[in-house]
Amino acid sequence: MSDDVKHAVDDIHPAAKPFLFLGKESVKRNFIWLPLIGIIATVIIGYFHPLKHPAPWEVFPGSWAVFGFFAYSAIVFTAPYLFKLLARDEDYYGEGGLPDPDYSTEHGHSAPTDSKAGES
Amino acid sequence: MFDLLNINPGLWVIAAGLFCTLIPKSPATHYVRKLILIAAPLYAGWLIFQMYSIDNEYIRGIIQVGSVELTTLRIDGLSVVWGYLFCLAGVINGIYGLHEKCRITDSSALIYTGSAIAGVLAGDMITLFIMWEVTAISSVFLVWKGGERAYAAGMRYLAIQVLSGVMLLAGAVMVAESRGGDFTFNFIGLDTPGGWLMLLAMGIKCGFPLLHNWMQDAYPKASITGTVILASFTTKFAIYALARGFPGTDILIWIGAIMTCFPVFFAVVENDLRRVLAYSLNNQLGFMVCGIGIGSALALNGVVGQVFVHVIFKGLLFMSIGAVMYRTGTAKASELGGLFRSMPFTTVLCLIGAGSIAAFPLLAAFVTKAMILAAAIEEHLWVPFAMMLFASAGVMEHSGIKVPHFTFFAHDSGRRVKEAPWNMLVAMSLAGLLCIVLAWPWGGYELLYSLMPYEMDYPYKPYTWDHVVFQLQLLFAAIFAFTLLKRRGLYPAERRAEILDSDWLYRRVGLDAVTWISQMWDRVNIHVNRIKTRFFSDFGRRLYQVFSPAGTISESAPSGLAAGLTAGMLLLTLLVIYVLGA
Repeated sequence: MSDDVKHAVDDIHPAAKPFLFLGKESVKRNFIWLPLIGIIATVIIGYFHPLKHPAPWEVFPGSWAVFGFFAYSAIVFTAPYLFKLLARDEDYYGEGGLPDPDYSTEHGHSAPTDSKAGES
Repeated sequence: MFDLLNINPGLWVIAAGLFCTLIPKSPATHYVRKLILIAAPLYAGWLIFQMYSIDNEYIRGIIQVGSVELTTLRIDGLSVVWGYLFCLAGVINGIYGLHEKCRITDSSALIYTGSAIAGVLAGDMITLFIMWEVTAISSVFLVWKGGERAYAAGMRYLAIQVLSGVMLLAGAVMVAESRGGDFTFNFIGLDTPGGWLMLLAMGIKCGFPLLHNWMQDAYPKASITGTVILASFTTKFAIYALARGFPGTDILIWIGAIMTCFPVFFAVVENDLRRVLAYSLNNQLGFMVCGIGIGSALALNGVVGQVFVHVIFKGLLFMSIGAVMYRTGTAKASELGGLFRSMPFTTVLCLIGAGSIAAFPLLAAFVTKAMILAAAIEEHLWVPFAMMLFASAGVMEHSGIKVPHFTFFAHDSGRRVKEAPWNMLVAMSLAGLLCIVLAWPWGGYELLYSLMPYEMDYPYKPYTWDHVVFQLQLLFAAIFAFTLLKRRGLYPAERRAEILDSDWLYRRVGLDAVTWISQMWDRVNIHVNRIKTRFFSDFGRRLYQVFSPAGTISESAPSGLAAGLTAGMLLLTLLVIYVLGA
């Protein structure tokens, strides 16, 4: 999908034009700083405002940050193994899989969608 | 005689749905249908409001059928919340589907909405059962409107839902028998086998682990509007039944905790975003089930609040992905990306929904989910608390980040489509606005509190420093983990596939086993028939060869011997008749 025609500015919604910078590689790359700064700030504030009713393991000001980071990472790290174990062809059950556009880039299921269906 | 106006407000919505089926199809009548679609739930909501203002324990529609006394209408502190909520959802869904010229969808949406309203306002278990089944039967048409590929899923959906209803009825009869024929729907508990049966029936409908597959099977295959409507009622109806029948039932804490966690792992590998949202729905129901199991006033109020906001923000997420699907024809993450360029309003509204489900401060679930978590802490339920916290990070993964990121941001798929139709934007904006209002710190969440039925020792304060800060820690850490893993290339790419779940056991293994048994049965039948035919024809031939005029006996034996044999046979026959006759 590197077709330049499809990236023509004219196709872009007027309300989205001021926000096109969100698609820039540099913005995407540096986005990481926002949550990082957020973590640092909330851990510092957490030091001054500790949990009033902590769980036994919530003994330090950044406990939820650590929990969140590891929980999230653990979920994502299971994904490749789960995919290997559970993924089958889209039409594995022989029922046509899930809705697809007619111009789908893969497989080419040709069943039409109901999106533009008329009176029925 | 009973008062027709006081049978149940939901019946008017059902009647409106039946009326819609009779309206002929034409461009002009299309608008009439749409008007009814929005007006009927509004009217039902107004009726509920009127009745609840008269009496906050409004019990009517007492009808004697044989020895069974029905109470078709009970509006109290608990049921009124679901009543209002379903009317509100009916209106928002109606606006969302304004563009769709489909008589079947409109009619079944109304009957489905009406039966869900009537079900939660039912005061006895028989009315509950009837509405339980009407929701199943009316909603399957929404699945089937998804096209040919949805047919089998619809059949499975119908079979499972009807089975749940039958179990509910069987359980209700057993429970009523143990109570001397009292069918009133109140606390049931697990003291009787009927109670277990009813719990299982409700468990099917609200997606207990291993009973959940119908949801992820049918919802992503339904029509665009259909999925939005389906996601609003069935499961929340079951949550109401659980909250009424099984509050404080310990086993629900663990079932709920498992329910919050297991869908997280499926949602991360699933490519179809409507199925991701169906898993996410399952995960949210887990929080509610867990809260019902805890059973304290704080937990149950948290459940009531969570149900209310959940219908709105989950509806918003389904609506936004539905809008994308309406424009692009797919909800598959691998096919989408970069759509914020074409659909900026939908993007913002989807982000509000995503923030709400992830419980960002100032957005819907921040208040209600925290109440359930706080109730778990209060009861020192550390393991379920940790599981729910883990699941909260999971919610951030699949609904907070994955759904908006792979649809509207990520790599640019190059698709340039129109913004969603105006009616979809209006419906989504209404839901988005409610997500903000119902969590607003200055008077907003108190609106939600005013609906909560249980008296709390102290009002839960969601906007405290520690809650805001630690919740933000969790969410920032999850976003940071996502960006870091993405940057390091460790975040798995979205790939097209059918991800197997436990429904594989009946869709593949079970089906194969039944097919094999059927084929074997056919073969055995053929063999048995052949052997039977051969045996009888051989036997007949042998008899003929022996006893016929041309048979061996006639040929070789003297006629005197034949006469003797015949006389012997006659004697034997007479003896048998004599003995048996005696």
